[in-house]
Amino acid sequence: MGAGMGDEQGVAAAIALAIPLLLTGSALFGGGRTANGQLGRAGEAPWQRAERLAAGVFALACLAAGLELGRAIGWIAVPSAWPVVVGAPAVSPLGLVRIDALTLTMLLLVTGVAWLIVRFSRRTLDGDPAARRYLRWLQATVAAVTLLVVTDHLLILAGAWIATSLALHQLLTHFEDRPAALIAAHKKFIASRVAEVCALVAIGLIASRVGSFSVTQLLAWLEAHPADRRLEAAAVLLAAAAALKCAQMPFHGWLIQVMEAPTPVSALLHAGVVNIGGFLMLRLAPLLAGAEAAQLLLVVWGSLNAVVAALVMTTRVSTKVALAWSTCAQMGFMLLECGLGAWSLALLHLVAHSLYKAHAFLAAGSVVEQYRIEALLPRKGAMPLRRWLGALPLALLATLPVALLFGLDPRREPSLAVLGPIFVLALAPLVAGGLAGGAGRLAFALAASVGLALLYAVGHAGFGALLDWPASPVSAARIAIALTAFGLLFGVQGWIAARPDGRLARALYPRLFAGLYLDDLFTRLTFRLWPARMPGAPVDRPVGIMPR
Amino acid sequence: MSLAPLFRTDAADPAIETAVEAACARIAPTWPLDQLIAVNPFWGWTAEALPTAAMRVEALTGSRLLMPRAWYLEQWHAGHLREPHLRAAIAADGADCSVETLLAHLFAPAPEPARRALVTDVADAFRDTVHGLSWCDFVAHTLSQHCAAFFDEGQAQLGPDRERGLYPAWLDGARHDWSPRLLMGFQDYARLLARLPEDPYTVIAETVALLGVPAIQREAYFTAVLMRVNGWAAWCAHRRFQARLAGGDDDQIVHLLALRLAWESMLYRGVRSDAIGAHWSAAMAAWPWADRAAESAQRLDWLLQRALELAYQAQLAGRLAAAPATDAAEREAATAPAVQIAFCIDVRSEVFRRALEGVTPEVETLGFAGFFGAPIDYRALAACSARPQRPGLLAPALRAADEGAPAGLGARRRARLERRAAWKRLRSASVSAFSFVEATGLLQAFDLLGASLRRGRPGPHPDGVGLATAEKAACRPRIVGPVSGGTLSTAARADLAGHILRAMSLTQGHARLVVLAGHGSQTVNNPHAAALDCGACCGQTGEVNARAVAALLNDADVRSELASRGLAIPDTTRFVAALHDTTVDRILLYELDTLPASHAPDVERLRGWLDAAAVTARRERAASLGLAPLADDPAELAEALEARARDWSEVRPEWGLANNAAFVVAPRERSRHIDLAGRSFLHEYRWEQDEGFAVLELIMTAPMLVTHWINFQYYASTVDNRRWGSGNKTLHNVVGARLGVFEGNGGDLRIGLSLQSLHDGTRWRHTPLRLSVFIEAPQDAIDRIIAKHERVRQLVENEWIFLFQIDSETGGVAARERQGWRRVVAQDRSALGGERGLSAIGPLEAA
Repeated sequence: MGAGMGDEQGVAAAIALAIPLLLTGSALFGGGRTANGQLGRAGEAPWQRAERLAAGVFALACLAAGLELGRAIGWIAVPSAWPVVVGAPAVSPLGLVRIDALTLTMLLLVTGVAWLIVRFSRRTLDGDPAARRYLRWLQATVAAVTLLVVTDHLLILAGAWIATSLALHQLLTHFEDRPAALIAAHKKFIASRVAEVCALVAIGLIASRVGSFSVTQLLAWLEAHPADRRLEAAAVLLAAAAALKCAQMPFHGWLIQVMEAPTPVSALLHAGVVNIGGFLMLRLAPLLAGAEAAQLLLVVWGSLNAVVAALVMTTRVSTKVALAWSTCAQMGFMLLECGLGAWSLALLHLVAHSLYKAHAFLAAGSVVEQYRIEALLPRKGAMPLRRWLGALPLALLATLPVALLFGLDPRREPSLAVLGPIFVLALAPLVAGGLAGGAGRLAFALAASVGLALLYAVGHAGFGALLDWPASPVSAARIAIALTAFGLLFGVQGWIAARPDGRLARALYPRLFAGLYLDDLFTRLTFRLWPARMPGAPVDRPVGIMPR
Repeated sequence: MSLAPLFRTDAADPAIETAVEAACARIAPTWPLDQLIAVNPFWGWTAEALPTAAMRVEALTGSRLLMPRAWYLEQWHAGHLREPHLRAAIAADGADCSVETLLAHLFAPAPEPARRALVTDVADAFRDTVHGLSWCDFVAHTLSQHCAAFFDEGQAQLGPDRERGLYPAWLDGARHDWSPRLLMGFQDYARLLARLPEDPYTVIAETVALLGVPAIQREAYFTAVLMRVNGWAAWCAHRRFQARLAGGDDDQIVHLLALRLAWESMLYRGVRSDAIGAHWSAAMAAWPWADRAAESAQRLDWLLQRALELAYQAQLAGRLAAAPATDAAEREAATAPAVQIAFCIDVRSEVFRRALEGVTPEVETLGFAGFFGAPIDYRALAACSARPQRPGLLAPALRAADEGAPAGLGARRRARLERRAAWKRLRSASVSAFSFVEATGLLQAFDLLGASLRRGRPGPHPDGVGLATAEKAACRPRIVGPVSGGTLSTAARADLAGHILRAMSLTQGHARLVVLAGHGSQTVNNPHAAALDCGACCGQTGEVNARAVAALLNDADVRSELASRGLAIPDTTRFVAALHDTTVDRILLYELDTLPASHAPDVERLRGWLDAAAVTARRERAASLGLAPLADDPAELAEALEARARDWSEVRPEWGLANNAAFVVAPRERSRHIDLAGRSFLHEYRWEQDEGFAVLELIMTAPMLVTHWINFQYYASTVDNRRWGSGNKTLHNVVGARLGVFEGNGGDLRIGLSLQSLHDGTRWRHTPLRLSVFIEAPQDAIDRIIAKHERVRQLVENEWIFLFQIDSETGGVAARERQGWRRVVAQDRSALGGERGLSAIGPLEAA
């Protein structure tokens, strides 16, 4: 391999570099000039331009991906050593851009979601007095994320990560007079800065060892040299940075509380920004693969967080907040997959979750219709435990043929020793529901299970082809921790479903409702150390309050 | 306007229960999002004159029920408000104030609203609220979270124990809440919590004793406390209202009061217990001062508001009076129209009716409450429960259900719904969500694209889910019997049919086609969609009612029974159900296959007229929706409106009932010549046909109340959207699957209309005017009804609405005031109309 740069790859690299530049230019100069900062009606020029640009940028990303795919299919046999990508990785121009399957997948995702979000914002923000500012920072945020995705230079990557966070901060405080918005954004500000310090120290460690800030150089160095304590430390710091930025507990509060910004900001945050930690893990996968401590950290933090956040989610009373807890949990799962070295599944999870969550947020207003549909059916009662447990063998039965068909083997891919069982546990509610009704319902449940297994296997195969990285061994500790965590989740959920008014449910409920106090503790710490500043006093004033 | 104290201080010491009941009765109910009908949030205040009630509300909540003074000044500069209006307002009020004083007032800045302090306010004086949360916000948030969890109807999978009520459930959960200590530094929280009594009435009594609230101030204090959590109080009031409608009761609102008072008592005991006593005494001593401040702050502003209303009324009264005369003999002689169409009284119907009447003189339009007099609930095919399709104030009497579906379709739909639900549960189950997302998330790309490109809705429509188009078409909603079960006899069905026809003034002169046009909106991804549907159908579309009633009136048995009672409907007359889609202005006709072939040409002609009217109506609405450039291109405009209706990012699909201001109860001839600009509810009424004025009584006690509720919801949401409206739609976050919304993360449950429903980003699209009701009927008949119904009397005499009478003979208009009738447009001026009518408005013009 090596950086033999064909013309097509030069084109792809140029496109990849052009995308953040175009978006930055538009953020700086595309707002148009109006006297009061308000952007006229939704039909007017700045929105139209922004929407066209966003669509154009997505088209460019498609073009780049298409070129690379064509190149890969036509010209290159897949090399065996890793990091193997679609085509040889190429660094160009000026060593700034890295074009590989990961870059292109992320670029497609981010520009695609950004296009839909700009489109959505146009009517949703219609008439908002600060729409101009909103549009500017929206483009700036997407510009920073795309730069982060395409760059090969670790310092640029870190800089883009910081820029993403700062630009997003402006969107999160879109409504400047809302105290809750300010507190949440402030907490995010603190968690992000801590994460960035971790990342920068890690980059310093890497550069001091490898002698370069280039990702490509780092990966080449790793191929040639054995693991190293300094790089292992860097990997641990990077894993911590990723967890912090992925809003893992106890640093999750801001993610839950930023419903204080317009809906499309939530969609952008949950689909395009919060998962960057996962992208970073994938970008530097070989570094992590050689660092057991870092991977152990990801497994412990990710799986604990996934389990707890998933349980807390079941106590949430409003749509958007429940979605935010779901993101928190899903990010934990993605990091867990990184910790297990299941790189292609982690990327699949990242992409699938982005699309799923972008849709869920943008469609959050439809929940009343959902309620009306659900109200057509009688409420479900308790689910007997035997049915819950009885579902497991059936779920296994539905999954195994698919696993065999696709040749999924934990011996070749050790992470499947965890993810396979989790998949089987996941089918339990469906199959258990099928056991409650007649033969027709059971048949449907089983057919749906097989269908889900097929979808999962196809996604696994597809992303496996995309990131054909060799599997690394997974320590027994990591497997045991993850399996225990999810086994526990399965047990708790089954027990609560069987006894919704039982002692476990009653004991767990108030604690889960309080989010296990983790955010309260973190918030108190921030109030103590570096409090946020609230907006001015409310408009009405009580009478007769004596001065202190 | 008097300057008597706002709150009495001279009455005997009432029992605490009495004060609690009185405070709870102040709170108006709010309906859930799937049945969102408009409510006057001050329904509990109508026993007082509105300006007095508003001063009290300001003293208790800090909310002023008037527009900012700058807005009135804008109206002045725009010429909507002029000196004669001010003069008339002063005269009408009998205020001791000169026009010059009022003008100077108009140009002076308004003082900020003042309110009585609660303990939370006093506690906040000890906090740094710039660098930390305030107690007011914290208590509101934590209390609201608990209420949401307790009342949740489907969002969470795990909730609190609901057996013993809201307050005990809070006591249970609050023991595990560390946030008062961690976030607010409230060290004594656990100790004080443990001291709280288990019974809500006990905590209420203990708190007022602890705080030393004078007996006479308790009701006001309780009211202030409840209005601090007004959203949840309104939800509790809804539970109570529904329970009482069904003959039971519900006391969660008392629990809510107890819960909020528990916080008052804990803060009083736990925050700076050395100093708070003195501060609290001072704050309580200042309560009367807050009352006076509220009173003096807004007294003159009510004259400005009144002047603006007078300006509108003068114009409309003049025009109504100027209707070309048609006498009864003339009407008799005229041939029956080709088609009669009954629309809902909704203000949006007026635009379409005017357009349709402009297309052809052969169509006669009528206005009637869109539930068409059928007090039904409706159980859709395979549904386990029924939904209301009647005004929220009525209990259901009859059940409608789908008939005509092929055998087994119900079971098939049920199975499809079950499968859907199983899929949904998998998606939300905590153990499954991870693998589910991984397996299916990529497919969401199609949904995302589809919704973004407006190819489809984000989810199926609840009415059509689980049914193919042909299957849905086979389902025909029909009245099947009483709610309690069983069937209706032909005589009972004829009773209902006769009642409906009489109420619509449709007992003679039937056209060959009589269309019953309900209405509904078409929006997606809109939690408040029901607010755009038919209020008379409890926030549903009028489809079910129109179809069920049309079928009833076409029934041969019912007709022969009616004929035997002297109410003959010609065999050639057929009733057709229709739906007016208010978002795109299009009329959909139902069940045309049941019409005889002889009526096919009639339907064809009708379609042509409706299409032409739709073009005109859309053109009229285009500018208000920012589609002015397309106004002259009917095809493009229709496409643009359809696209809006399907757009999941649209926050202003239509303007709903914004800018409503009047309710005209009269034959259509009275208003047919006027462009009412979509601001007026129209009810068909011919008093000559109304024996004993039973129909008038019905109109004044049902549709008039409903139009007032709508009018005052718009009013309140406009004057203080932060308190009585639901705020910014881009922040809406649905609570408990259907209870209401939060604006953002939390805070109180938000009720009322969103900012986007009232304001276009540049200006208010709703001008807050109290409803002006014009009734064409004899004065003594109106007076008898006012005297008989206390609530109606309150609304009229306490200026919550303005009532006018139109004299059929002369066209003269008189206003009903507390003292009696006062002629405002005299006979000889009836031809002048318009602005000229203004000079006729004034107290000196007594009849």
